[in-house]
Amino acid sequence: MTRPVLSRLGATAFVALLGAAPVLALATNAHAAGKPPYQTTRKNSGTPNSSQVVTNSQGQVISYGNRAITYANPSPALAQLGRALFLENCATCHGTEANGVPASGTAGAYPDLVGLGTATIDFWVESGRMPAANPRAVEAVRRVPRLTHDQALAIAAWINSLSPAYPAIPTVHLQGANVSDGATLFALNCAACHTIEGTGDALAFSTFSPSMRHVPATQVAEAIRTGPGNMPRFTGNLSDFQVRDIVKYVTTEIEHPRNPGGFGLGGLGPVAEGFVGLALGVGLLALVGFWVGERQ
Amino acid sequence: MSDVAVTKRSQRRALGPYGRVGKTINELDERLGIAKGGRSFLDKVYPDHWSFLLGEIALYSFIVILATGVFLTFYYTPSQALVTYHGSYLPLDGQKMTEAYFSSVNLSFAVRGGLLMRQMHHWACDIFVGAIVVHMARVFFTGAFRKPRELNWTIGLTLLILAIVNGFLGYSLPDDLVSGTGIRIAYSIIESIPLVGSYLAFWIFGGNYPGNGVFQRFYVAHVLLVPLIMIGLVSAHMFLMFRQKHTQFDGGGRTEDNVVGKPFFPVFMAKTTGYLLIITGVIALLSAFAQVNPIWQFGPYEAARISYAVQPDWYMGFLDGALRIWPSWTFHSFGHTIPFEVFIPAVLLPGVIFNLAFAWPALERRFTHDDEFHNLLDRPSNRPKRTAAGAALLAFLFMLFVASSTDVLANFFHVSLNTVLIAMRVLVVATPFIAYLVTYKICKELQAVHNAGRRKTANIVSRTPAGEYVATPSPLYPDDRHDKLEPTPVPDFISTGSPEVTESGVRTVER
Amino acid sequence: MKPDEQREPVHLRGLSADDPHLQPASAHPERAEAVIAVTLFLGLLGVAGFGACYWVNAAPWTLGATLGGGLTFLGIGMAAWGKYLMPRGPFVEERHSLAATDEDRDALAGAIVQRGGTLLKRRKLIGGLLGGGLGVFSVVAIFPLLRSLGPLPKGTLFHTDWKKGSYVVDQTGRRVSVGDLAVGSVMTVYPEGAQDTDRGQAVDATVLVRLSNEDFTTQRGRETWAPMGYVAYSKICTHLGCPVGLYEQQLQLLVCPCHQSMFNVTNGAIPQFGPAPRPLPQLPMYIDASGFLRSQRGYDQPIGPGFWERS
Repeated sequence: MTRPVLSRLGATAFVALLGAAPVLALATNAHAAGKPPYQTTRKNSGTPNSSQVVTNSQGQVISYGNRAITYANPSPALAQLGRALFLENCATCHGTEANGVPASGTAGAYPDLVGLGTATIDFWVESGRMPAANPRAVEAVRRVPRLTHDQALAIAAWINSLSPAYPAIPTVHLQGANVSDGATLFALNCAACHTIEGTGDALAFSTFSPSMRHVPATQVAEAIRTGPGNMPRFTGNLSDFQVRDIVKYVTTEIEHPRNPGGFGLGGLGPVAEGFVGLALGVGLLALVGFWVGERQ
Repeated sequence: MSDVAVTKRSQRRALGPYGRVGKTINELDERLGIAKGGRSFLDKVYPDHWSFLLGEIALYSFIVILATGVFLTFYYTPSQALVTYHGSYLPLDGQKMTEAYFSSVNLSFAVRGGLLMRQMHHWACDIFVGAIVVHMARVFFTGAFRKPRELNWTIGLTLLILAIVNGFLGYSLPDDLVSGTGIRIAYSIIESIPLVGSYLAFWIFGGNYPGNGVFQRFYVAHVLLVPLIMIGLVSAHMFLMFRQKHTQFDGGGRTEDNVVGKPFFPVFMAKTTGYLLIITGVIALLSAFAQVNPIWQFGPYEAARISYAVQPDWYMGFLDGALRIWPSWTFHSFGHTIPFEVFIPAVLLPGVIFNLAFAWPALERRFTHDDEFHNLLDRPSNRPKRTAAGAALLAFLFMLFVASSTDVLANFFHVSLNTVLIAMRVLVVATPFIAYLVTYKICKELQAVHNAGRRKTANIVSRTPAGEYVATPSPLYPDDRHDKLEPTPVPDFISTGSPEVTESGVRTVER
Repeated sequence: MKPDEQREPVHLRGLSADDPHLQPASAHPERAEAVIAVTLFLGLLGVAGFGACYWVNAAPWTLGATLGGGLTFLGIGMAAWGKYLMPRGPFVEERHSLAATDEDRDALAGAIVQRGGTLLKRRKLIGGLLGGGLGVFSVVAIFPLLRSLGPLPKGTLFHTDWKKGSYVVDQTGRRVSVGDLAVGSVMTVYPEGAQDTDRGQAVDATVLVRLSNEDFTTQRGRETWAPMGYVAYSKICTHLGCPVGLYEQQLQLLVCPCHQSMFNVTNGAIPQFGPAPRPLPQLPMYIDASGFLRSQRGYDQPIGPGFWERS
């Protein structure tokens, strides 16, 4: 009758899953290396649906995309610098070959980065999650990035050179985005983890969904397309135009919520309202009653 | 008389010694007989300890709710028909939504003063239920529910239940994502009742979820049925308190047979009306600076959408907490299912708690063998078992409230959500016991302090010539003398002449 | 009654006018009056300000601030008036027993019993008939309220709109094809035609997760249910009916946001933690010749929370 609580078996299974996920990701990307897998072939309200892929002389993908989002890889010439930076900052955990086998030799403890695509690498580095503050934590936290934008691009270029994959780093063109469609899509796809107000919260087993405040547009798009960590990835089920609408909604309405009613109380909903109502409302009024009445 | 010149002074004299007021009273008294009752009403003495004003917070926030609610009814449309929003709030522009949601958003943005009224209505309701709980705690801990006030206790408890229900119905009316989820949960709770659950759910909602005309029904219940019952019960509550007279603490000349305080007119009336204005003002200030229930940010409700970190309003939080921590006990045999994981925390548990509260006056009479009238209140520390039991129940309910925010706690303290939940299961069971023991101990110690601090009446022992010892109370020492005035009767205005005494035994005004 | 113009005002009886009980409670009434005057004046400004802000359609917070501040100051002033400037008291009043004398109580009880007795004595037949008629009426009066409000619970609780061969569509009605989702993706789907209806949202909504690139088996007997790694579970939580939209890719858990039940997507959505009692029903699917996902048939059990008739 009792339900198994977080036992050793569960913990081992969990860690195993953690190690298995990048393998799955790798398998997916390797499978779809022929064409951009996240570019839907369906038309979107009559707008042209072009994914003009631009490649260089060696056949490496430079960029692709459309009016809503352009995806671009950093120049392969950065790969050498990227390798040097990687060895300095990342190889301790991810190994000198970026395959998740660190120098100490225990394979599988840290993710294999080969074949993850530039968008993935760029997301983790530019959001400050990597290098990890606490490598043993279940989920890395966002913080001030340790590496600059150019350094992140260089590392991404090097890892991409090991095994090219998709998606590339998106640039979202926000003009023409529909914030109302973005709100609808956010409510349907994102609110279940990130809350409808985008504040983030604790999820199962020490994982959590981060707050959507102060997240640059590029990182929002990267997260949607690559599905970092426990976040599912949204590939064919969201077109670039839809992703653009979501990014517009996140960077405007969630970043600057309209609170015409006063202080937003942290967007925590009825919990915070209850505290304020009871402490400030009833408490204050009881204190006033203490003055109005007599003490005997 | 007709030859006398009519002057201002003679006109004034013609009205009698009290002018137009006196004349009006004469006219009314001839028709309605209000003079004697009216005077005793104005002279009525009200004890004015500050803890007696907690019920007034509830009463006056109820008035604010009614007043702001009337405003809201002019603008809300209780309809599930779909419309497309085109208004000032761009993130909703072009979205399909129910008329209920549309009218609520429209009220918030396009109606002058609409957002203020909505927020005042919501904050007043949060404060209303909180004040009822605090007032009920005061009544419980001081024993004011004892004979002859058991009926008032029952009425008050019913009011609490109705306030919670009406609050739920009310915040579900705008049909936003957060409250719509609550309606889904309510449907499932009703469904979970054995034997009749699905019939009840289909009856209330008009079919399978999401039902048919839910908002019309909720609206009628929220605006008409429940408020009517509540107004009736509040009036009965006030009338009983009026007729039985308020209780009071002992000391300072107060006894079981008198009431000490201030007369209704003008003192109590001034203070209580001032309190009404302050309560309304504080609710308005809260509504100005603290946003509540921002439905435009939640978006319209659709049954396949959900937001994380969704809780009901605080007074339903104990149910949400119980539902979260309850193990998944389900009974599934003989072709039937009883979802105990829903039925116990959401139906049986509140049922047991409220029934215990309803039965408490009778239980206490049984266990203390006390059938006496009690117009004097207990100090909570003088009744350690009752106070400790009340504290244990409050601690239990408080832990259930805390359990409804497991995710917020896990996020705030950076602990695993699963750990928080298991910790809450332990705390919900352990805390009431600890609360009982701690409270009992504190009461006992307070009793000792009370008795120790008070100087016992000194006696002068003298010996008579025959050899007897006689003890007479000594005069008060300066330290013992109170510098407060002894209570006196309300100064009355009455012509000389013997007061009327009726023989029916109905209370006689003997002034 | 004496004519009005001949009556004299009555005199205070009980206390003399300079009795300490009748003095203002404050030790310095003039100072108190000055403070109260200032407070009331601020209150007046506040409520007047509310009127002005309303007139010019100022922001809601100004309306609340002026109204709230004004009323609060007026209230403080009035309460302070009652507390400091009015007779200090304390005053006392007797409590009288509410109960009447024994004779009165007996008279009332006797009136009911004896008169009622004479009413019914030897009139048992018509008394019984009247009672029976009123009793039957009180029962049948509830009938319109009971029945007209809703149908009896029947098939709709047990079946969804998923049938044999239903196309799997997203919220816009677009059919889902096998190339749409990558491994680790999740989306909400409906049977074709139901995506816009209330029932579709509330009952048919299904979570589609891609777990692998090959056929996935969640339990024995379900080998064909998840073609090409597309696994579909009912989105309606078996605890209280909230949509289970929260998918954690690496933990492979569907978490219900309401009360944090956690369902393992790899073994048939068996609940691993939390209050949910039963696994989410799984929808068996297949991929047709054009590459579209379709359901083999409906769910094999009622979806959603438990109820008495659920066998």
